[in-house]
Amino acid sequence: MTLPSSISTRLGQHGYLAVGGAILLGLLFVFVFVRGGYLLTVMQLAMIYGVFCIGLNFFMGYTGQASFGQNAFAALGGYGTAVLCVQYGWEPILALFASMAISGVASVVVGYPTLRLRGHYLAMATFALGLITYDISVQWQSVTQGYMGYSGIPPLGIGPFTVEDERWKLVVLMVIVLFGLWISGRLRNSRFGRALRAISTSELGASALGIRISHYKLAAFVIAALYASAAGSLFAHVVGFISPEVFGAQMVIVTFTMLYVGGVGTVLGPAIGAVIASLLPEIVRSTGRFQDIAYALVLILLLIYVPKGLSALFGIGRPRPAKTTNPGS
Amino acid sequence: MTLLSVRGLTKRFDGLTANSEISLDVEEGSLFAVIGPNGAGKTTFFNMVSGFLPSTAGSITFAGTDITTMRQDKIAAMGLIRTFQLVQMFQNMTVAENVEVGFHLKTRGGVGAALVRPPWLRRQEEDIRVKARELLDFVGLGAQADMDAGLLPYGQQRLLEVARAMAAGPRLLLLDEPAAGLNAHETDALADVIQHINGRGITVLLIEHDVGLVTRIAHRIAVLDFGCKIAEGTPDEIKKHPDVIAAYLGTETENA
Amino acid sequence: MPSVVELVQSLVNGVGIGLVYGLIAIGFCVIYNASGIVNFAQGVFVMLGGMFAYSFLVTLKWPLALAAAASIIVVAGIGVLVQIFIIRPMWERKAPMFAIILATLAVQLLIEQIVILTMGDQPRTYPEFTLGGPLKLGPIAIGYQLFWVLGCGALMVVLLQLFFNKTRVGRALRACSQNREAAALLGIPVGGMLMLSFALSAGLGAAAGILITPTQYTAYSVGAPFGVNGFISAIIGGFGSAPAALAGGILLGVVQSAAIVVFGAGYKNVIALTVLLIVLLFFPKGLFGGLAKKH
Repeated sequence: MTLPSSISTRLGQHGYLAVGGAILLGLLFVFVFVRGGYLLTVMQLAMIYGVFCIGLNFFMGYTGQASFGQNAFAALGGYGTAVLCVQYGWEPILALFASMAISGVASVVVGYPTLRLRGHYLAMATFALGLITYDISVQWQSVTQGYMGYSGIPPLGIGPFTVEDERWKLVVLMVIVLFGLWISGRLRNSRFGRALRAISTSELGASALGIRISHYKLAAFVIAALYASAAGSLFAHVVGFISPEVFGAQMVIVTFTMLYVGGVGTVLGPAIGAVIASLLPEIVRSTGRFQDIAYALVLILLLIYVPKGLSALFGIGRPRPAKTTNPGS
Repeated sequence: MTLLSVRGLTKRFDGLTANSEISLDVEEGSLFAVIGPNGAGKTTFFNMVSGFLPSTAGSITFAGTDITTMRQDKIAAMGLIRTFQLVQMFQNMTVAENVEVGFHLKTRGGVGAALVRPPWLRRQEEDIRVKARELLDFVGLGAQADMDAGLLPYGQQRLLEVARAMAAGPRLLLLDEPAAGLNAHETDALADVIQHINGRGITVLLIEHDVGLVTRIAHRIAVLDFGCKIAEGTPDEIKKHPDVIAAYLGTETENA
Repeated sequence: MPSVVELVQSLVNGVGIGLVYGLIAIGFCVIYNASGIVNFAQGVFVMLGGMFAYSFLVTLKWPLALAAAASIIVVAGIGVLVQIFIIRPMWERKAPMFAIILATLAVQLLIEQIVILTMGDQPRTYPEFTLGGPLKLGPIAIGYQLFWVLGCGALMVVLLQLFFNKTRVGRALRACSQNREAAALLGIPVGGMLMLSFALSAGLGAAAGILITPTQYTAYSVGAPFGVNGFISAIIGGFGSAPAALAGGILLGVVQSAAIVVFGAGYKNVIALTVLLIVLLFFPKGLFGGLAKKH
């Protein structure tokens, strides 16, 4: 039915590039599976961050809004899972969905008033959400166990089937990422997604066409929170341990770097960015601290020199207007 | 029948009166123009009518409903659709997608439907794709459908904005200085499009700076100066009106 | 229920910490007014002030005045470096507000990690400037450091006011805050003013850090909470004049201290941030519309 050219526009401006990237990713996974070992862990974390970034992309990429506090919902997911599984012996899968439900409700309650803010106030208010959650996770020791965090969180599973093999964990996470991408792609190219993308460039234009801005911003925020919560829960199940530091402010920087590397507002960008940004520090074999420094530096350089994200670099060959009329003439 | 009725509409900013006691009636099916020199308060008037700016006093009635304090998107949902003097393009989308967004009010479906894609949704998507193409052909942008909207030349962005507004199924189309920044050729193309839209039975309320364009296509004209309505009538009456000549044509003939 | 004595005591403590918030808030305002940029890394200057003072004072055993002055100068220099290498390139490229905020957050993380690498992650502190005390007024104890904070804070605000009103450079900086284009036309080097504003606000932050560290501690992670509290104070003060920002800081400090008595010290940042959210919710454009007016 659809022509190839419109497929590429439906995928995002760099459709073919994205498809090529996906094939490369596939090859990479084969390599990781054969090689095994530490790379498996790296890729597992990349997938978990990928889930987070796909969600963040709804709010930041499609809708063009900035939230510096999505890590709050990842923390909610992680701690929800940890508490429900360790303290109350819940089934991991149930705990994951229950945490998502809690995060969803929390994001509506918090987002409804917060998203009325604009500019620096919105930025600071969302940043504050992350800081508040961090402080609570440190202080509310009776529930969160403070700095010590939670260990012994059971692996993912349904009933008697648990995923304990490292390779299988990665497979499960990959399936989850693909599912997340599928949702993202479907929603992007729908009435709902078009409304979000319209808001990102012109709120005036969107509201003049009858789009209820606050409604759609909130919806994108909630979706981002659901993904973040799922990522938090997945981290808990896969790694088996969480602490306040896992969901600290550096998570904001790391995930934004991933989003910028992969391409803000494209469907596959967040996942590709998560993989690239997770692998790069491994290639230079840097450890934790240097890794955070590298992320911060890369992000700053990207923000200065490639403010639209790396994927924009590949957009040079796009059609140009035949002639431009000066708007002022 | 009167489609839009404005009574005593007033807007004050910090003591400065931008619009003072403006009243007018727009008949269904007519092509009504509001003209005035720069700074006469035309855009302020428009922003209040379309709900983008709260009014200080006065009332606005559209199709028998008081819309004075209604939110923009609800006003749009009633069939009052506007364009902007500064084009509000969705730059990150293709030309065709811009028009598809225009169908927002005429379509349904949220997150759930988008994920499941039931048959009715697929029909709806196919339907708006076809209709969007028709609208683009109507304004002469059919060939550019798959281009990034941000790459269109300025004159064509204006036409795209009109096509997008048409997609929303307006009963009353508000065009805010559609000819601003267009050359003579583009202005002619636009005048054609506006007359065709009106020919389809859609009421048009037009704000313009270009008197030549307005006197050629409008059925009825109101003139604003310093925030007050100083005259209203047919194009011929307006051309002869002494106050209008003094306030507007006398000082601005080189732009006409 | 907390007793009256406890509340009065917390009030006294609140004024001290509030003054520090006020100084940070002034730092926010100076940069914002000169450039329209909100530097989310503001709190990092406070942390650095304390860290450098600790190094000079405790490790190198320099005298207090020298250590303090050197710390302020070094941190102001770091502020200038941040401006030259990160803010200015983005500013010149007309980067969106959100990207600049993100970059300043990245700067914060960067500096924090460098501090961990060089100084470790242990909290540091050094003795109060005047040993002895606290001063006892009946059951209320007032640490001597509070007088240092009060005195130095007041002195800095007075000097700032003089600088902005009496000196040519200060007036030029104010002209930039009112209308950058017009200031540029008048021949004021707007870029240089932006650099000056970063030096000034970094120096102010450092001074705040040096003053407050003896009563608390400094560690790589104290920057963010200080920054956020300073921002809240700036909002309460309306992002306008230095005295208003200072007043905003004291108000926040007092509220926070009172809340600590009720909820416990661990939650002081949670309380401040909740205050922020509530203020923002009721005044979505900020108190006095300070930021909204310019954007």
